[in-house]
Amino acid sequence: MDNEVPLPPPRRIRHRSPSRLSPAGSVASSFRRSRRLSRFDDRSSQPSSDPALFSSDDIPASGLENYHAPVAGAGRKRRYRGTWWGEQVSDPKRKRADFKEKRHVDSGVWMGSDESIAESSLPSEDASNWGEDLLKTVLDPRAPSKVSNAPLLVKPSDIQSASMQPRPIILQGPVESEEHKYVKAVINDCLEKGDDSVDLGNINMRSIPPGLLRPLHHLTKLPSLHEAPVSENAYSSLQPFLRIYLSNNSLNTLYTSEIFDLKDLKVLSLRNNKLTRIPEAIRKLTALQVLNVSVNRLDELPWDLLWLLQQGELKHFTAHPNPFPSIDESGLVDWHCQFDKPNDAKDEDEVEEDTPETTPIPKFRDYEGVPPDDAWTPIHVATGPVSRLDMEGRPLEWNPSLNAVSTTYPSSRAPSLREVSLRAISKLPGIEQLTDLELMEFPALVIPLISLARQARQEGAQHCSICQREFIVPRAKWTEWWDCTPHENGMKRPRVSGEQLRPLPFKRVSCSWACVPGVQSVE
Amino acid sequence: MADSTQSEFVTLVSCDGFEFIIPRSAACISGTIRRMLDPASKFSESLSGRCVLENLSGVVLEKVCEYFMYNEKHKDQANVPDMEIPAELCLELLMAADYLDT
Repeated sequence: MDNEVPLPPPRRIRHRSPSRLSPAGSVASSFRRSRRLSRFDDRSSQPSSDPALFSSDDIPASGLENYHAPVAGAGRKRRYRGTWWGEQVSDPKRKRADFKEKRHVDSGVWMGSDESIAESSLPSEDASNWGEDLLKTVLDPRAPSKVSNAPLLVKPSDIQSASMQPRPIILQGPVESEEHKYVKAVINDCLEKGDDSVDLGNINMRSIPPGLLRPLHHLTKLPSLHEAPVSENAYSSLQPFLRIYLSNNSLNTLYTSEIFDLKDLKVLSLRNNKLTRIPEAIRKLTALQVLNVSVNRLDELPWDLLWLLQQGELKHFTAHPNPFPSIDESGLVDWHCQFDKPNDAKDEDEVEEDTPETTPIPKFRDYEGVPPDDAWTPIHVATGPVSRLDMEGRPLEWNPSLNAVSTTYPSSRAPSLREVSLRAISKLPGIEQLTDLELMEFPALVIPLISLARQARQEGAQHCSICQREFIVPRAKWTEWWDCTPHENGMKRPRVSGEQLRPLPFKRVSCSWACVPGVQSVE
Repeated sequence: MADSTQSEFVTLVSCDGFEFIIPRSAACISGTIRRMLDPASKFSESLSGRCVLENLSGVVLEKVCEYFMYNEKHKDQANVPDMEIPAELCLELLMAADYLDT
């Protein structure tokens, strides 16, 4: 509150912090949509910290000295308030009467005991409620925009009297479901006891609202106090071994859950849910050791998961059962392994050129004695056809003569202008909170692209599985089958000699055609 | 006239009259401009080597030309650096990209 008032800011550009907001604002203004401009403003002007609330009494420079002389400051005050919500004031006289009435109950600082709806907008300090606050801010587009629109200085009750009719629940967020209350209780319990095993199973939860799991960042394990004699496990590590069990729920998406921001997560069970996709952001869980995604609706796995298996800590990965397609359903396939042929004729070639009529059963190579290193690691079994996408991410017609395509569209690693501008768009403040309705206001041509940018912001940008660059619009995708049997049994035993392989489909995406393996960049 | 089709440089003109002279190869990164300048098309642009882009303002076209040069420069490079786009231009550039097919 360091602006020593009473100089009212100009009307349209009220309280924007120029550094963060001007991009969004000017972009919107370039499309001459003042309505969206104000929406952008509202959202992004929300402070990152919990807002403190003061009454409007503090606004005039006269402050408390002026307390008993309402007439003297009235002119100024009214002018000031007029600027805060000038459009809505219809009857200044009535307002002033309201204001006077408020004055003598007002100490200038809002306390929790004040009987007003301001309470509900007061952010609660404890962790038990701040998820709820966040929920309000995010999910109720109207109420918080009011609050942040007249930031921190104006009594919400004043807003009320100025608006047409009193709406007592205006600042209340959507009703929180029972499950989420339960989850919050469990999380708080874990935080309190320092319990690093968070069991959120069997509660029929459909989605994880943002902010719900975030307090787990701060989970601290408590030393266990035992009676003497002190046993050895009293000296166990206080580093939390964070485990989250979300099994037997009805989750169908993980995008808003922020679960992938829990960098220390060691065990994650998503067993028996309704997930159709695992977000690429799972790559961020570099400490993950056990992952269970069985009994879901997955038909492919993200490439980043294989990266975790190969480079990360992931040792125990349970993928079956899931409706994965079988290799022979996926058309043209390049094989990278040996087959179990009926006539026992072992083919030593790495790549089987022609696909046999009956689908072969891939198997691990024969060895004797100590299992070789590659008996433990994931094995590349086969590669599916590469489908190329155009600059907007739509699949191109399958063209058998790919060379012809690559001459008309030179495969360079330089991003397209669409891609370049989408990367800039995905960095705009507030883009992740763009609703579908607001999206429709953009020119129809760019709606699908902007929604891609929004998705990239929400989920974290995708990484090219070849060159690791971040990108917005994928230019090619294909499936690779890898066998991860040792990881599926928890690295307990290696593949045995000649073992049948059970490959899993991993989806690879690349940022440019030049990144597609086997395609040389065209001069 | 016949000379200009062979010319190494082309002129891009914005709707507010700014002219940008850039190498033909760079301009042809855009599918739209490539088709404009295609000698077989016999468009007046292909004869004069001068494209008037009515939809693009000077500010946007300047950035577009910067992109053309950026793309031209990093065409064959493996590790392409990012190109900075000012936030207030990114939506208009996206529209321009759609128009220019690039």
